[in-house]
Amino acid sequence: MKKLLADRSPLSAIACLWLLMVLIVAVTTPWLPLQSPEIAEPSMAWAAPDGTHPLGTDALGRDLFSRILWGSRVSLACALAGAVAALLLGVSWGLVAGGGSTRRDNWMMRIVDLLDSVPVVFLVILVASIARGSRWESAGGGIALFFLILGVVYWTPMARVVRGETRSLARREWAQAAVALGTPPTRVLWRHLLPNLIPTILVTVTLIIPRVLLFEAFLSFLGLGVQAPAVSWGTLARDAFEVLNPVKTAWWLVAFPSAVLALTLLALNIVGDSLRGQLDPKQRR
Amino acid sequence: MSSFLTRRLVAACITIWAVFTISFIIVRAAPGGPFDEERDPPPDIKQAIEARYHLDDPLWKQYLRQMGGWLLLDPGPSLRQPDHDVGSILAAGLPISLLLGGLSLLLGTCAGICLGVLAASRSGGWIDHLVVLIASIGISLPLYVIAGIAVLGISFQLGWLPPAGWQSTSSLILPVLCLSLAPAAQAARMIRTSILEMIGEDFARTARAKGSSPTAILFRHCLRPALIPLISTLGPTAAALLTGSLVIEQIFAIPGVGMHFVQGALNRDYPLVLGAVLLYTVLLQLMTLLTDLLLVALDPRLREESP
Repeated sequence: MKKLLADRSPLSAIACLWLLMVLIVAVTTPWLPLQSPEIAEPSMAWAAPDGTHPLGTDALGRDLFSRILWGSRVSLACALAGAVAALLLGVSWGLVAGGGSTRRDNWMMRIVDLLDSVPVVFLVILVASIARGSRWESAGGGIALFFLILGVVYWTPMARVVRGETRSLARREWAQAAVALGTPPTRVLWRHLLPNLIPTILVTVTLIIPRVLLFEAFLSFLGLGVQAPAVSWGTLARDAFEVLNPVKTAWWLVAFPSAVLALTLLALNIVGDSLRGQLDPKQRR
Repeated sequence: MSSFLTRRLVAACITIWAVFTISFIIVRAAPGGPFDEERDPPPDIKQAIEARYHLDDPLWKQYLRQMGGWLLLDPGPSLRQPDHDVGSILAAGLPISLLLGGLSLLLGTCAGICLGVLAASRSGGWIDHLVVLIASIGISLPLYVIAGIAVLGISFQLGWLPPAGWQSTSSLILPVLCLSLAPAAQAARMIRTSILEMIGEDFARTARAKGSSPTAILFRHCLRPALIPLISTLGPTAAALLTGSLVIEQIFAIPGVGMHFVQGALNRDYPLVLGAVLLYTVLLQLMTLLTDLLLVALDPRLREESP
């Protein structure tokens, strides 16, 4: 584990710094002296970046800088929800399947196969379209439902990775020794195998989070994701798409949200790849 | 081989049935009927509407009626476009979506393989870095931002290609390019990594020791095993393409299945949405089945294991 965090390329060090910064900013946003992201000033609409609005304003005169910072909170919350769901459901599913009998492994992984061969995204859109505008969505259930959806979509890759790794670890001498000494199977799984899986799990999480963020952007684009007045990077990217026309071009509305989103996803991919490279000696060239 | 095929076909049918049942339950569990938003029709008219769409039957009867309708490929009328039935709407959109998706999958995979091989053969050089960078950006931006920038730049500033629509071959180019970007990026990254892995393997070293040229090692010895993990992800890639096609069909105003699906979802046109979900499920099942057959054909080790 320590070795994982040591000796990195400068690129992944920069990526780590960026992620850390995003995280700190997202957590501290409510205490920063910012304009409200929801207050519209029609007189200030379409203002280019200047002293009062460092990143300009949008069509309703809302400050883009503050919207990006507040948006990072919703987006990161989505990412966190997806990651937690992948961790809870995916890790335990993979662990139980990979550490059990071949028969149990078979039927548990068939379920994962089945889920992967179904266009879950479309069922999710069906649910989201039904929930949209219903009574309990306006009561704040919308965001909760959204998090639930993200988890449902993204736990299967984690289950696959964990299951494969568990199977290979269970054959190792130390795991066999624990079994031979009479350790109960559950204890072998959770106390002996799980700690050794942590690096793999970490890598998978860094590779799942970008997909969750993109999925959030995707649903927001279709109008089924985060609903106004709440703001996320996905809704900002949607606003950006709307000004991408020859009639009214506001470059700052496109450039800044896209850059923040792309940099974060890129950083996550870089960190994930470099972690994976560290884990796999074959790739360490 | 044939028993493998039968087993897979049965599994596919069960999956499709399960998806139908789950979507039916989701739709029925929705609070409020599809006609509740309409401005209070008099009770007798509302009753007549519900009778027309059989919404007043017991639930199990509706379920069986719908399932029967789907089996006979006659799923009944759409709720929002009463003059058209769901079957004809989807049938009109399907060839367009298949063309768009098929071309994108083909182009994305081929371009990805070429870029991946190129990057791996120049490992560490600037071409390698460039490919990795482009591939990373390709999977780091939402598709609609990329498509928006492409439309603005290529259609409006340069005026080379039409910005939207579905009339001529030239209006096909931009959507296919945008949609194939993500699979290309994915394939390039994957092929590059697996080839770099293969080059270090014993069999590649043996080939080198026997005097094979680097090109021969790359193409004859390393590319073929490197293709296997790529092909095994074709199913998920196809699923991702279906998702992407929703966005692309919206942006470029392409009258495919995806557009009807999104419109149906926003309008609460449940039969249409249910139909689109089923159609996508069938497509994905076919794709997964084809992938498995292709894998067995390519990898002799799988042939021995499968009974």
